[in-house]
Amino acid sequence: MEWIEIFDISLLRSLLRSTAPIAIVGMAAAICSAAGVLNIGLEGKMLNAAFAGVAASYYTESMWAGLTAGVIAGIMTAVLFGLLSFTLGADEVLAGLAINIFSLAGTTYLMRTLWGQAGFFSDPKIVGVEPIHFTFLEGTFLEPFVSGFTYSVYLMFFIAVGLHILYYRTRLGTAIRATGENPEAAEDAGINTVRIKWLVTVFSGLLAGISGLFLSLENLTMFTEGMSAGKGYIGLVASSFGNATPLGTFGASAFFGLGDAIGIRLQGVYELDSRLILMIPYALTVVVLILIGIRQRLKVRPVAIPES
Amino acid sequence: MDKFSFKDVLVTFAGLFITTLVAWVLITSTGNNPSEVAKYLYEGGFKGTRNIANSLYQATPLILTATATLISFRVGMFNIGINGSMYVGALYAGWAGYRFTNLGHFSHVTLCILIGMTVGALWMLLPALLRVYAGVSEIISTIILNFVAVLFVSYMANGPFRADPIAPATARILETAELKQIFPNSQFNTGFFIAVIVAILAHFVLNKTTFGYELRSGGDGLVGVYPSRFSSYLGIPSDRSAIIGMLISGALGGLAGAIEVLGAVRYFFQELEFNQGFDGILIGILGKLEPIGAIIASLFYGAIKNGGFFVDYKTDVAREIIIVLISILIFFVSAQKIVKGLEKYPIVKKLDSFFSRKKM
Repeated sequence: MEWIEIFDISLLRSLLRSTAPIAIVGMAAAICSAAGVLNIGLEGKMLNAAFAGVAASYYTESMWAGLTAGVIAGIMTAVLFGLLSFTLGADEVLAGLAINIFSLAGTTYLMRTLWGQAGFFSDPKIVGVEPIHFTFLEGTFLEPFVSGFTYSVYLMFFIAVGLHILYYRTRLGTAIRATGENPEAAEDAGINTVRIKWLVTVFSGLLAGISGLFLSLENLTMFTEGMSAGKGYIGLVASSFGNATPLGTFGASAFFGLGDAIGIRLQGVYELDSRLILMIPYALTVVVLILIGIRQRLKVRPVAIPES
Repeated sequence: MDKFSFKDVLVTFAGLFITTLVAWVLITSTGNNPSEVAKYLYEGGFKGTRNIANSLYQATPLILTATATLISFRVGMFNIGINGSMYVGALYAGWAGYRFTNLGHFSHVTLCILIGMTVGALWMLLPALLRVYAGVSEIISTIILNFVAVLFVSYMANGPFRADPIAPATARILETAELKQIFPNSQFNTGFFIAVIVAILAHFVLNKTTFGYELRSGGDGLVGVYPSRFSSYLGIPSDRSAIIGMLISGALGGLAGAIEVLGAVRYFFQELEFNQGFDGILIGILGKLEPIGAIIASLFYGAIKNGGFFVDYKTDVAREIIIVLISILIFFVSAQKIVKGLEKYPIVKKLDSFFSRKKM
């Protein structure tokens, strides 16, 4: 097989599947940074949601219970972040970091203590999410492009468009952007910035929860230690590359998704070391960070030089 | 950031108390006996020469990673990538340990350590430059580099540096490169003393020298973050401080990794897993970003970590519970408003001024 042959429909499908978790958590990061909240804790929210989803699905053998529990876990973690940073005055970065370390250790602890499993937990009783097939598209040329994904892949388009409308067409969107750009002016204009920050934090918990559930109940039906594997951070980078706008973040996420998908396919073509393939998303992230740096150098004076 | 004060101690102990309650609930709800766990935790941490030696061994890299954390935080940079520095430092110190022959004991150990520190520092160069010259958040870049480091060292141990045909591991380091283990049946080694000396040195450099003052003026604590106006008013180049601070931080991470390989495991293998870089962040904060505080907090953490292994071995409670509890404790310690809220009580104020007369 030649390398050019990897560009086919299954690459596109794999691209969409790789993009979904990054794009959804990336838009959570985007809405947070638009409101001036540096939300490092997204990684922990994803992990807790992924775990809660698997746990609830395992004990109740119901997909819906799993999804509900996952989303609630994401939101609860977000509330913890909000309590620490907005109510109790902890530094946002520290609160986020502590939440991530807490979540990684906590889920591993529960997995090992409840189920006696180290590394990963998989069981036939865990009910995953089935892909959606559009029967009316059967046999048409569209079918291979749009049919047979799990719900998150479709959902990410709606979230992107919905957030875009929220950002630029609603009063709330203006309030969110004002809170991020100039909190004092926003307060003067009668916007309760703390309430806005709480709102975006809880909403980011919901999105991170969906993204975490994608990993443990859609893409796979199992939980592995630290299965979010930095996707929360990659989402932050995607939102930064996309200037914290929903559509920009979506585009940046698709770039990460493409790299991921190409890596997976290349593995079939060449005998590449699996570790190098696994490194692709992180190496791409470093490249994107350098690109962000170059862009910032070109655009304005770098933040790094203090005004005198 | 304030020096140690009575109210911080009060919050830490209140946090410890609540954390213990949480631990009790966590352990009981998963069907285990809390008092049994507490007993094993104590025995594993403190009982007998071997356990104490092992607790000190656990504390060794933590002292260094916590010092690395606090140095970067105090220059106003959030270096989360110390774990990455530790991995690459360990890999290259191990490589130097078998690669260079015909060296004396002292010169070989020194060479390995210097190589580990240099590699660890270089690992931090890109995030530091990106932050200072292009305004790219060092938090994200260092976190991402952690993931790169794990895969990179694993690739190296499997590929270029692999010596063992069966297992993905490098060659064993030569005897001249070993840090000596002092107690039988314990991996405690002379690296502990290096770690303590480095932390004390960091205390003096940070708090008593002009160089340390220049470093700190970039941020000093969790409030001021690089780039600070303050340092530019003083005419101190905060760019340079930020970069140097990050490099020192990375070098100490590399040193922690080097000591692990030279003193304890003696070769680098694929499954070698470090998380002391992350623990170091928690400990650095617990020790209020002071090197002496970091030593004390590391000794405490090392003991309960070693106790945690014993608990894991003896009961069904997984050892990760220790990290869970410490991060809950951090929630309390980092909540500034709890600390500030205590100030309104006159008794706290009085005790505060009483204790603050004694300087750390």
